[in-house]
Amino acid sequence: MDAFRIFIVEDDLLYGEMLRRHLTLNPDNEVYLFRNGEECLKNMYREPNMVSLDYSLPDMSGLDIMRRIKKDFPEIPVIIVSGQEDISTAVTLLREGAYDYFVKDDDVKDRLWNVIKKIRENLQLRSEISYLKEEIGRKYEFRNVIKGNSPSIKQIFSLIEKSTKTNISVSVTGETGTGKELVAKAIHYNSNRAKKPFVAINVSAIPKDLIESEMFGHEKGSFTGAVTRKIGKFEQAHGGTIFLDEVAEMDLSMQTKLLRVLQERELTRVGGNDLIKIDVRLIVATNLNLAEEVKKGNFREDLYYRLLGMPIELPPLRYRGNDIILLAKHFVDEFCQENKMKKLSITESAQQKLMQYPFPGNVRELRAIIELAAVLTDTDKIDESHISFNAVDAAENLLMEENTLAEYNRKIISHYLQKHNNNVLLVAKKLDIGKSTIYRMIKEKQIVL
Amino acid sequence: MSQNQELYHLDKLIGFVGDDPAAVANMVGIFLQTTPELLETINLSFNQKYAEKIAKAAHSLKPTLDVFGIDSLHIIIRKIEQKARAKEIDNELFELINKLNSVLEDVFNSLKINYL
Repeated sequence: MDAFRIFIVEDDLLYGEMLRRHLTLNPDNEVYLFRNGEECLKNMYREPNMVSLDYSLPDMSGLDIMRRIKKDFPEIPVIIVSGQEDISTAVTLLREGAYDYFVKDDDVKDRLWNVIKKIRENLQLRSEISYLKEEIGRKYEFRNVIKGNSPSIKQIFSLIEKSTKTNISVSVTGETGTGKELVAKAIHYNSNRAKKPFVAINVSAIPKDLIESEMFGHEKGSFTGAVTRKIGKFEQAHGGTIFLDEVAEMDLSMQTKLLRVLQERELTRVGGNDLIKIDVRLIVATNLNLAEEVKKGNFREDLYYRLLGMPIELPPLRYRGNDIILLAKHFVDEFCQENKMKKLSITESAQQKLMQYPFPGNVRELRAIIELAAVLTDTDKIDESHISFNAVDAAENLLMEENTLAEYNRKIISHYLQKHNNNVLLVAKKLDIGKSTIYRMIKEKQIVL
Repeated sequence: MSQNQELYHLDKLIGFVGDDPAAVANMVGIFLQTTPELLETINLSFNQKYAEKIAKAAHSLKPTLDVFGIDSLHIIIRKIEQKARAKEIDNELFELINKLNSVLEDVFNSLKINYL
């Protein structure tokens, strides 16, 4: 959890400062002290997690301030801490929505800590509930999430299903856009950890200097800028799953630290001394070949074996045959539904065009192409003219098809013939091949004019 | 850090701000700055028979005296507030305020010697 922000509104300088210092003893708390109601109201944009109000203030009563806070920020708990021992005042304030009412007596410390603990627990619960609602809403039943009927994707379903039954680490590989994070989520939300957090870290997106603090957290003051204690992603994922995307990008020194955490199942926050037990399931992903990275000396061998667990290699979309059309139809339906559009169909010619394309950006690229096509069409159909592959390099696409040399020859000669009005002599000259080669291919119907 | 056990004890204060001599000294400094002002308000308001002001100042002083462990004034400050709220500006209140002045003067002197 981030810093717990507390506002203290207290005109008694001594008591206010004492409360401020007391609550700051917990480094998780970020405490602001205000001497009057107006100052507090002006600072409400900081969105405190709790407001502690003195009942008698110089500019307005605690009740007035509380009413104004409740009007604009009904979710923020307001505690009244007062020298006022009159029960009827307490009853009025509680009826008006005060979270609690304390008299400034010897028990005020303990009461404050208890109430903060309760509020924090409530916040945690609220955030977990909204998190779960959001995630469950996406229906992570993996056959709903990962679409496809091709043999290669059916094999992936089988591996995902097996991996959900144990806590084995999973390493997901595949080209960009094949859905590695989706697989990780599908595993998590179909495992017995589904009700605990799924926390993803993109290793390549975090600066090298910050990655340790991001993963394992830090203590207040452990380095410049560490103004409060920070809970790292591993702690956030306690009981759940942590997904390390682009894990091959991790530097060797961090790999050593990660290995130790995985072996010992405990961590120490940066700048801290306490050992914190963690229970996380690990899923990693990379689009590099980790074994190759080990050979090159870029990745620790011992960590490689610890991470490998169950390897799942996601096939590129171009090897998934008719899944391209199945996914295209799914994306167009989804897009129309999200944008409250009429249902669109994909014509036969558009489907053929899609099937011939190698999709270097895989499923992610297919989605983008389909969404653009859905926007471009003026009818209830997407035809080939709406399918645009402009964003990628044609030569690279051709190479990604991974054809035989003979097939590439055929394609190149066909392309030249088309371009030069089937002028065989000109094409033979341009490609520096014999004209008889071209005539033979035409005769054998390898090339259709 | 020595304490005058008869006049005050700082256990509660240390419980609040932690066992940090600098923090304790800082709080003593604030006490020595704010309490005489409240005391002066009480004295002046008594002379002017301004009961409401006496009650308000006594009300503010109450938790401070508790935190500084000035146990001999625990009941006295509450009686002052109570009588002022009841607008009983009489000899008894005068005696109570005198006692408050006398004890606090000793407390101020002792705190100054021990902490400043």
